[in-house]
This record gives sequence, structure tokens and C-alpha cells, in this order.
Amino acid sequence: MSKPTANWEKVGDKFYRKVPLYTDVFDQDLELDKYHVVGAPYGGAVAIYRDEEKLHAYRSGQAAKASIDVYSCAGKLIRRITWDKGTIKGLGWSEDEKLLVVTEDGTVRCYYDLQGDFVPFTLGHGADEHGVQSCKFYSTGFVALLGNNNLISVARYDEPRPKLLATPPSEPVVSWAIIPPAYSLSRSVEVILAIGSTLYVVDATDAEDRDFSAGPFRHISVSPRGEFLAFYTDDGKVWVVSGDWSEKLSEYQSRVKTVPIDMQWCGSNAVALAWEDEVHLIGPRSVATKFYYDASQVHLLPDVDGLRLLTNDVCEYLQKVPDETVDVFRLGSDSPAAKLLEASSLLDQKSPKADDLIQLIRPSLAEAVDTCVKAAGHEFNIHWQKALLKAASYGKSVLDLYSSDDFVDMCETLRVLNAVRFYEIGLPLSYDQFRRLTPEKLVARLTNRNEYLLALRISSYLHLPADKIQVHWAQQKVRVSTDDEEAICSLIVQKLRGQPGVSFEEIARAAYDEGRVRLATELLNYEPRAGKQVPLLLGMKEDIIALDKALESGDTDLVYHVLLHLRKKLPLASFFRVLNTRPVATALVESSAWDTDRELLKDLYYQDDRRLDGSNLLLAEALAQTDVASATDKLRLASKYLADARDFAFAKTQLDDAARLLKHQETYEKELGPGNAFVGLSANETVFALIKAGHNKRAVKLQNEFRISEKAYAWLKLRALVAARHWNELEEMGKSKKSAIGWEPYFNEVLAAGNTRVASVFIPKCTGARPEERVEMWVKCGLLVKAGEEAVKAKDRSLLEEVRAKATGSAAVEVERMMGMMTRK
Amino acid sequence: MAPITPFNASEISEKARRDLLLLLEGIRGKKNLVLEKALAGPLNLLVKFSTLQEYGVDKPFFLENDNVDSSQRNVVFLVRGEKAKTVLTVADQIKRIRRDSQIEHEFSIFWVPRRTVVSDQLLEEAGVLGEASVSEWPLFFVPLADDVLSLELDTAVEDLYLRKDPTSVYLAAKALMQQQQKYGLFPRIIGKGDQAKRLADLLIRMRTEITAGESSSSIGPSFLGLTPSSTIDSLVIIDREVDFPTVLLTQLTYEGLLDEVFNIAANQTEVDSSIVGGAAPQPGQTGSASTSMKRKVIIDPKDTLYSTLGDANFAIVGGLLNKAARHLQSSTERNQLAAKTTSELRDFVARLPGYQAEQASLKLHTSLAEEIIKHTRTDIFTRSLEVQQNIMCGADPTTQHDSITELIARDVPLPSILRLLALECTTNAGMRPKDLETFKRAIIQAYGPQHLLTLSGLEKMGLLAPRGGLSIGGTGPAAKPGSVTNYTPLRKSLRIWDDEVNETDPNDISYVFSGYAPLSVRLVQSIIQKQTLANLIKPSSHPQASAQANPLAQGLRIFDDASKYVRGATFDEVQTGEEKAVKAKSMLNGSQHDGAKTVVVFYLGGVTRAEIAALRFVGSKLKEVGGEGRGSRIVICSTGIVKGGDLVGAALEKRRFG
Repeated sequence: MSKPTANWEKVGDKFYRKVPLYTDVFDQDLELDKYHVVGAPYGGAVAIYRDEEKLHAYRSGQAAKASIDVYSCAGKLIRRITWDKGTIKGLGWSEDEKLLVVTEDGTVRCYYDLQGDFVPFTLGHGADEHGVQSCKFYSTGFVALLGNNNLISVARYDEPRPKLLATPPSEPVVSWAIIPPAYSLSRSVEVILAIGSTLYVVDATDAEDRDFSAGPFRHISVSPRGEFLAFYTDDGKVWVVSGDWSEKLSEYQSRVKTVPIDMQWCGSNAVALAWEDEVHLIGPRSVATKFYYDASQVHLLPDVDGLRLLTNDVCEYLQKVPDETVDVFRLGSDSPAAKLLEASSLLDQKSPKADDLIQLIRPSLAEAVDTCVKAAGHEFNIHWQKALLKAASYGKSVLDLYSSDDFVDMCETLRVLNAVRFYEIGLPLSYDQFRRLTPEKLVARLTNRNEYLLALRISSYLHLPADKIQVHWAQQKVRVSTDDEEAICSLIVQKLRGQPGVSFEEIARAAYDEGRVRLATELLNYEPRAGKQVPLLLGMKEDIIALDKALESGDTDLVYHVLLHLRKKLPLASFFRVLNTRPVATALVESSAWDTDRELLKDLYYQDDRRLDGSNLLLAEALAQTDVASATDKLRLASKYLADARDFAFAKTQLDDAARLLKHQETYEKELGPGNAFVGLSANETVFALIKAGHNKRAVKLQNEFRISEKAYAWLKLRALVAARHWNELEEMGKSKKSAIGWEPYFNEVLAAGNTRVASVFIPKCTGARPEERVEMWVKCGLLVKAGEEAVKAKDRSLLEEVRAKATGSAAVEVERMMGMMTRK
Repeated sequence: MAPITPFNASEISEKARRDLLLLLEGIRGKKNLVLEKALAGPLNLLVKFSTLQEYGVDKPFFLENDNVDSSQRNVVFLVRGEKAKTVLTVADQIKRIRRDSQIEHEFSIFWVPRRTVVSDQLLEEAGVLGEASVSEWPLFFVPLADDVLSLELDTAVEDLYLRKDPTSVYLAAKALMQQQQKYGLFPRIIGKGDQAKRLADLLIRMRTEITAGESSSSIGPSFLGLTPSSTIDSLVIIDREVDFPTVLLTQLTYEGLLDEVFNIAANQTEVDSSIVGGAAPQPGQTGSASTSMKRKVIIDPKDTLYSTLGDANFAIVGGLLNKAARHLQSSTERNQLAAKTTSELRDFVARLPGYQAEQASLKLHTSLAEEIIKHTRTDIFTRSLEVQQNIMCGADPTTQHDSITELIARDVPLPSILRLLALECTTNAGMRPKDLETFKRAIIQAYGPQHLLTLSGLEKMGLLAPRGGLSIGGTGPAAKPGSVTNYTPLRKSLRIWDDEVNETDPNDISYVFSGYAPLSVRLVQSIIQKQTLANLIKPSSHPQASAQANPLAQGLRIFDDASKYVRGATFDEVQTGEEKAVKAKSMLNGSQHDGAKTVVVFYLGGVTRAEIAALRFVGSKLKEVGGEGRGSRIVICSTGIVKGGDLVGAALEKRRFG
């Protein structure tokens, strides 16, 4: 076994290693230098397409059609997407392995799985006019540069909303880069543009000139977490600046005349420059190392913690050697971990020295075990993984107390990592990448590659839910299987029924999209969520079933949705027929139509012969009118609606009355001139207003016409007179013999208006009241003497004493006198 | 391990708060906030305006006013997306701003509580979907107090009973489902009423849907979450329709009367400043005093003084206030004299702010109580209360007709009249057709022909009906069994009317209406407080033996007996989990959770403050150690808080001619 340090290179005081991942990646005939190559993050797939600007050797055997080819890192073709949609100006990946293709006219296609299915959207903002120049991608979005230097940012792909950023100057852009929103200071995407000899930083609101003069900068690169920026100047220098632009950290003179093809960060510590067959790796403090390749061109595929280097022959992974690994393997290392490893190998050789070594590092043994476990994780070579884990296990056994959780986790993780690194799968994840990607996403990636067995194995091994994998499998099954539909359906149902999380709707949709309508309907029946079925059913034109399912789900939103759809699609009569047997649907239509579409409601009521509702609707319309004439017209219509229906005779009469009342009110307004507003009042209120203004005759006439009861009229008159302060008239009324409502109300109302004098007039007439109530009434009017007399009349001494207590001044004297008289009697 | 409290109010508000602030944070820079008026209350309850300002909110606007200006680039809409009308209003305003404004705007819409398919569809048709970034603020329950959670759906009554639109049932199911996913299934769902049954069915249905659609992102907890909860006892659902009379009556608790007189919305009410004194200078609010004479008053359920007052019968509030005043006076005075040593002095000073707050609260509630007394002393109030009490204790309703006629002639506000009429109809299975027509004519004469619509709306809601046909339109044949509530047998079998009511030291829930025990609460009692209720209905001859052996308390006898006479469907569902999961859960938790479970009472269509008071009374009895409740806690959930005015107000036509 070769030494683990064999592929290490020292850059300054740090070690870098080039881990060979796969060999014989591409066919030798593939002229990789004439292709654009982009790789998905986290060791994901690689997409290549031919660079149209470069000459291409003609080969007779090869298909002339252009295509985007998606390979695994091991060079296995995953998918070939034939392309005839125009010039590709941007190709990139999102972190969940969606492939984005941007064409010159601003159309974006988002290939969400690796199977060639895509969702298109357009950039807008003049992209079609000015043309897309190039695009830069980050984990969840991208920025496109247009011909007029406008920048368009797309922040997410599930609901893409292209936004125009601030406009930079229009001089040609030499090179550019973006800082992803997660790492920029403003928390939104920032763009660095090299224009002329200076740099501009552009965000959503402004474009700021950074006042540089060392340009033009040929390349700009931002480190994976945005902490550093690297610039390649025209005179062959590499500048590294801190992410907040506060200081220049290093400057490296490459002494190369030609501008490199690419410049990328390798992790956050070094910058890699790539010429055709040469790669320079520049560490901090401007130290550098060089690698040479025997190939036409090396492609740099940056990842979060390193850099993949891709040529026809090899795929290599360049990264800074992790600290733990350095600890263990560095030549001459005397760290405890290194000693532990040595002890373990001595143990294998059955040498007694093993124990001596262990005793030597005894105090820091726990730490040594941890280091070995971590170093094993960072190791790509299975032999050394085993050796390190064995060492850790040995160290562990010596320790009395040690939690094995990390060790067990690492063993599991390494099993998974080795499985997916296998060349047939071709996902060369490093340990750090795996942690960041999360096991769930890894399983999703495997599923997208149709590696169901491995995905299921990993899921059960790591205790992850398997529903997504099963659904994906079933979808693929209904798409490609040539079995008869019944067999497919029963196979899927048998395997997936009752599994939590399995969405039959998604499977049915796949079947429908594939044109297998019957299979889709069949599968949909197994979907327990009614709500989920609705959109697909609508798509399948099973509108009525969709409506019933929506009603079943109880979700009114869905019901509305289906109803809106039906309303547009069906002729009115059939729409109503559908509603007829479904009361909830009818109620919803009524409810929303009341707010938004009264005409529909009218038709509905007419169709269903709902007279009262129909007439009510017209009444509501009448209320909305501003002038009396049109209101009256509407009222007439409403009344007519109810004609010859005996059940609604009452409503009809009231409607007719309403029209009549309006007419009267209009007349009054005309006759009595301005300042007298009557329209809108009720019959009672009109009478009230008439009396208040002194038009008694009219009031009486109205009373008779609308048959207002005597009692009600008496109340109205009383309140109106009080309100108008017609005290004389009230006193006059007090002289009449009878009142329909008794006399207490007169007393109360007048008193409440504050006129005690007039109020007192009514006290003697309140014959129904008990003596103590009458005394109280007198007291309320402030007539204590009268109150006293009342008490005397009732021959109630205690009452009289109460009055006495309240009386003052002359009244008191008078009451005293009465008391005296009473005792005398 | 700290005990898990299901339906935890502070947890729910904290989550809602965080959700909103996160959404606001997602929009860079300053923004104008446009919100629906109905959401202002809940929003205010959850987030202070100053906090909103910290999150970049510049100016708030009401959607209804349609006046949002273009002063900020960002415009955020915070609206409910269930109704087509609101969606279209949002679309129109976006179009208006886009048309009128010089600068380019960024629109965001936060749908409450969820983004609907219809809203997307409508916005797309209006051509603004692409302009706005859409997200949702999943605000379901808004805690009004520690034991009161409201969905604050202001149109729930109108939707459910007038328009027969079950949206609020669905939202209620969603909200309850969220709690179930967190704390486990309700072991039992029991209740009364047609819509309530629908809610129960939906809950059961959603359970199967959720098991099927369990997203793979959450393993573990939700799997266990869908087994019966060990901390929740049961869910009792009461459909408002079952018990309209309770809403129609004038509430007689302090809080109830506050609501009747001043109208409380989301723990806040507006009171004329002449009553409570000028506005105290509030931080963040400048120059508001000049613009309005109304002062906003927070009714804080956590206020110590208020917590003793709120649920008390108004008759004793005066005494309580007096006592509080004397207590406060004595504690401040004596302390001042006694505070000799410096440490005592320091203690006293430390408590001073508390005293000041108490003093302010005392002053506020005294003036409010005075204003309420003024209101209750009016002739009209006493007259209508008299009518109510007579109807409820079972007097012949026709004897009350003269009083009602007189009240109409005196131009008493229409809602009060409608409440009385509806009360008669709902308690007596309708009104004699001739009388009903007379009243209808009188109302139209007195209040205007537009109320033809009001009356027909009330008939649709089943609040007004000729006797012998509560069915739609009033033309159907005789009422089917189960479509009306028959109060005559219920007065006896549930002891709905209590002649020996004690308001000062209540021994039964009947104190909240000074005699009438709310039917809905009685139904709840018949499920969770059987023993007490049984003894109340049929006092045992042997007082010693009464503790256990009242035969009425067995099973659900009272509930079953009573529900025969109450309208609407009755249901009783037991939810069990998968056997495997149940076992796993019981192994995890052990079976130490025996007492102290939570009973959730859900009022579909709104709950009144008097009922809350009554349920709290029941709850306090359950909490008593050694009682039959084993320390259970009652949480009251509802679609909103209602009162009689809101119920009849749903049908009230507010426009008039001209």
C-alpha cells in the first residue's frame, strides 16, 4: 500500500493533496478543451456541452446534433439532453442538482431531475432584446448579465421571480463574479464587475465604484463562503482581498504571459489557476505549487471544501489536507494519534512494543482516538480508513470510559460514502460535503439517478423514510414499463399501499403526463387525500369528480377553485345543473357571487325559482341606487318578481309600501323645500320628522295610509314634540282625557328632556301609579311640597318622612307642617 | 421533565410572532404595511407596533381605506385570502399603485392563514401574480387569555349560518389538527350540532390524510404525535347553532357587559375619553389625542384586579371595586407609616410601580363600571332584560309582546329588538305566524323597508321562524325532530333555569345570567362534570351518599337524555392510534400522567364572554383537589368571541335608501 502522504504537496506551511478519484473518465476522442464543463456541488453530476465558438473536428460516426450531456464524475453518461433551442449562454447547477440552462434570448430551463424533465421560465427585463451574455450560479439561484450590462437575479427556482439589479456603467465587462446572498454583508446577492481598470459592486439598490486602478482584472473569484476575493490582473498577478474589501491579503506574480483559462478557489485557503495543461495552486502569503497534466485542458470544478480537476483521463480531488489527517500521517509526526496508529500496526505484528507506546500516550489517548476517527472520515482510501478505525478501536478498548457514538457514526457514514464513491455510482463525496449535503439529500440524488436499490438500502441503514424513493420508483415504473396497465397498477398498489408519505397523486400525475389516463384514474383512487386529487382531476378534465372530491375534502378553497374553473368552462345552464344537487357548492357560489357577480346570482335564483331570494337581490340593488326614481324602479321589479306567489304576499306588500313611501318622501322634500331630508327614513321616522317640523296634517295622513298603530303614533308624537321642544303643545295634550300609552311615558320623556314644569303636569294623570311612585315623580320634578301632599293623601307617614329628609328651605317648613297635621289627625 | 401543556397560549403567540417577524425580515428595507381591518386586533395583540417598526414597517394602512401611498418601495399586504372579494381588492390596489406611482415597487402578500389556490388564480387573472412575492402567515389560534384561544374569524357567524359557507369549519379543523400533531390525538371527540359533526368528521378525515401525507422531513415526533395524547382528555365541540339563545341574552358578567356596552375586539376597546380620562401618553403614539376623542383601552386578562372582576356578575362588581380600593389604600398608607428601616423602605419603593399600576387599573375599571351602571339603569335596558328573563324561565312568550311592541315604538336600536324576537323564536320553536307578521310589519315601519333583507336573513339563520316550521323559507311542513331545541323538558332535565341563583358567592354557572344556566355549558358539564350536575338536577335524599351514587352520573346519561331535545347531530368518537405506536408511546411516557389533563372545548361559530366565565367556573371546580375532575384544565377555543349584537348583526342590512 502506498503511503497516504504520497499525493501530498506542501504549499507554504500547509499540505494539499490530490486524491485520485476515478480514471479513464471520458472517451479519448472527446475533445474536452472544446467543451464547457460545469459540475454540480457536493461531488454531483457534470454537464458538458460543445463550445460553439471553437472549431470542431468533423467525425463521420458522430451525431451532428448538439446536446448537453450529463455525466457522473466517473464518466458514466447519466442523460443526454438533445439541444436545438438556441445558443446556450449559461449552464449551471443548483445545490439540489437542478440543471439550469439559460439561452441567449433569456429563456431559462430548470431540469429538476436528471431525467430530462424541465420547467421553463423567462428572465424578462429586456433579456430578449439585449441578449444574455453570461451567467453566474450559486447554491439556490443565479445572476445573468445582459448585453447592456443590466443584471438580472433569480433567487429561487420553485417560484422564480427575476429581479433587475441596479444598473452599472455600460462599458464592456472584462470579468465578473457574484457573492451569494448567504455570505454577502447585505444578505442579498452582490455582483462584482470588472469594468475598465476598476471594479464595481452591484446589489439590488446601487452600483458602487470601488476605485481600483490596477485593472483590467481578467478573472474574479469568490471563495466558497465569501470571506475572500481573488482577482487576476492583466499583468499576471493574483490579488487576494478580504471579503469586506478592508485589506489586501496577498499578491502573487505568476510570471506567465498568457491569461489563465480559469481561476477558482480551492476551499477557502488557496486559489487555483488553470492554463491548458498546468495548474498553479496559490496559498496564503503568495506561496505556490504547480501541477502539470498530460492533457489538452484541465477543467476546474469548485466545491465547498476543495476542487475537482477533470481531464479525459482522470478526475482528481484537490483539497487542503484536513488537520486530523496531517496529525496522523505527517512524516515524523509525534502526535498521540500517530503513535496510536503505530501501536495498532505493531499490535498486528504481535509486537509487545504496542503496549509501551499506548502507555506513553496514555494521558491523551481519548484525544488520539477522536483524531483517528476523524482522520478515517477524511480518508478516501479504504485501506487507510480501516487502519485508522482499527487504531481507534484499539485505543478505545484501553480506555475505561469512552463514548463510542462518534466511532459508530463514522463507521456507518464511511460505509455509505464508500458505497456512493464506487465508480458505478460516481458520487465522490468528501466527509465534510456529506455532512453539509445531509443524508436525506444524498438519498434524493441517488433516487434521481434511478439507483433505487442503493437508495433504499442507505435509507434503511440510516433510518430515513423511504417514501420519496418509492414514489419516484413508481413514477418511473408508470413512465417506462411496458407491462399492461392493470399489472402495473396492482404491482404499485401492492408494494406501496398504506406506506406513510406515499403520494399516489404524484404517481398518478406521472401516469397522466405519460398519456396513460386510465392508469392515472385507477391510481388516483388510492390517494387518501381528497385535496390532492383535485388539481390532477381537473387536468384530466374529470371536472365533476374533482368537484365532489373537493367537497369531500372540506377545503372550501379547493371547492372555489373547481367552481371557478367550471364557471368558465360550462354553459350557465349546465353549471347550475351541477350545483343543483350540491348544496355546499351552491352556498359557496351564492356567497362569493353576492360580493362579486350579482348577475350570476340573478340567473341562479331565476333558474331555481327562488322568488324571495331573487326579489331580495333586487331590493339590495334598489338600495344601491342613488336617486329615488331608479330605486323605485328596482323596487317595482322586486315586487313583480313575487307576483302571483301567495306565500310571499307579505313581502310583496312591503315592497309596494316601500315604493310608495319613497314617493311620499320625495314629494315632501319638494313641498317643504331644502333642509327637510326624508328619503331613506322609515315610515315611523318620517312621521317623527313631520311632527317635529310641525306638519301634523301630513303626519296623520301618513299614519292612516301606512296603518301605523295608535300606540306607535302616540309614542312618535310624544318623542317628536319633546325633541322639538314644543312644550305648549305637550301641555295641551296633557289636557286631553285619554292616551293610548298611558301618561307615564309623557312624564318620563319630558323629564328626561329636563323640563320639570311640564313633566309635573302629567303626574296627576298617572292614575295607575302607586302613591310612593307618584311621590318619587314629584320629588324628581323638585316639587317637594307636592310630594308631601301626595304622601299625606296616601296617609303614609314614613313616605312623608322620606320627603322631609330631602326637603330644604321653605319646602322643608311646609313638609314639617304637613307632618304636624298628620300627627294631629 | 417539565410537564407538557397542550394548547399553551404563550407558545402559540410566540410562534405566530416569530413567523410574522421572519416574514418581515425577508423583505429588505423599509416597507408600508397594508392590513385588513379585521387583522389589526390580532396583530396588535401579538406584536407591538414599535417592534414592527424595528422590522422596517414604516406606515400601516388599512386595506379597506384603499389609501396606501407610494412613499416606500416595498409594499406588504397582510390579508386573509379565503374570500374572492379581498383578493380582488388586493389586486386592484396593486394595479392602482403600479399605475400611479413614479417608482417601481416591490409587492409582497402575506396570506393569512394560508395561501389559497383561488387567490393565485384570481391574482393571475388580474395580471399581478408575477409582480408580487407571495407567502403565508400561518396564524390560526390567537390567544386572548391563557385559557382562551380564538381563531378571530370575524365573519364566521355570517359565513356559517347565513351564507352556509363552511370555510371556518375547515380552518378550525386545520387549527385543531396542528395542535393534534403536536400533542397527540384527542382521545375522544364528542359534541353536538350539525356543523360540529362536520368538524369532527373533518378531523378524523384529516388524520388519515396526514398519516398518508406525512412528509418525510419529520420522522419520529409526528409518528408518535398521531397516537392519543396523554395530556388531553377530550375535545368537546359545540355548534353555536345548538344554543343561539345564550348569545341573544344580555350578558351579565362584568366582561360581558363591557363587551355589550363598549364592544371589545381582541382584548381592546374604545371608550370615550370623557369617561376614562384623557389618553395616557403612549410611547410611539404622538398627537393622536387631537384627532380622536376615543381612547383605546386594553382589557388585559393578566391584570390582577381585572382577573377578579371580569367573570363576576356585574351586581357584585361595585363591592369588589370598593374592596380593592380599600385594600390598596390600606397597604400604601400603612406601609408608608411603618416603613422605618431602609430595607423596608426599599421593599416598599420596589413595590410602588405595582401599586401605581393597580391604582390606574382601579381608576379605569371604576369609571367603566360607573358608565355601565348608567347604561343598566336606563328604562330600556331593564325592560328588555325583564323580557329576556321571563322568556328564559318559561313564561308564556305572548305576554311579552306588548313590551316588545312598545320598545319598537320607542325606536330602541334594532339589534336589541331583533335579539328579543329571535330569543322568543329559538326558545319556543318559532312564533305564531300571525304575531311574527305583525312584528315584521312593525319593524319595517319603524326601521325602514331595507330591513326586509334583515328579516329574511334572520329567517335563513333560523333565528326568526313561524311556529311549526323552522325549515328554510318557512313554508315547509312541521319541524322534523332534531331541527329545533325544545326547552321545556330541558329546563328540568338540565336545570337550565335556577331560581335560587347566588351572584355573590356562586355555586352554579347560572350566576352568569342571574338565573339562566347557558345550555351550551350545561352540555359540556354533562360530559365532563357529570357528578356535580347530576346532584344539581336531582339532589339525592341522602346528602352523605350523594358523592358517588347518583345514578344519573353514570355513563353519558344526562348528555344522551338532553341531546334528544337539542337540535343538531350528536356524535361521540373515540380516536385510537396504531397499536404499535401506542405501545411505544406508553413505554416512553410511562403511565404517570393520570390527572391534570386538558379538556378542550371548541365553540364553532363563536363563544360569548358569559360562557367563558361559566366554563372557567366549571374549570375552577374541576381543579379542586379530590373533586371529580382530578385537576383537569379547561381550554376554550372558538372561531371568535360573539355577542347577541354580532349574531343578529350578521343579517342586518346597513344601507338605506337615498
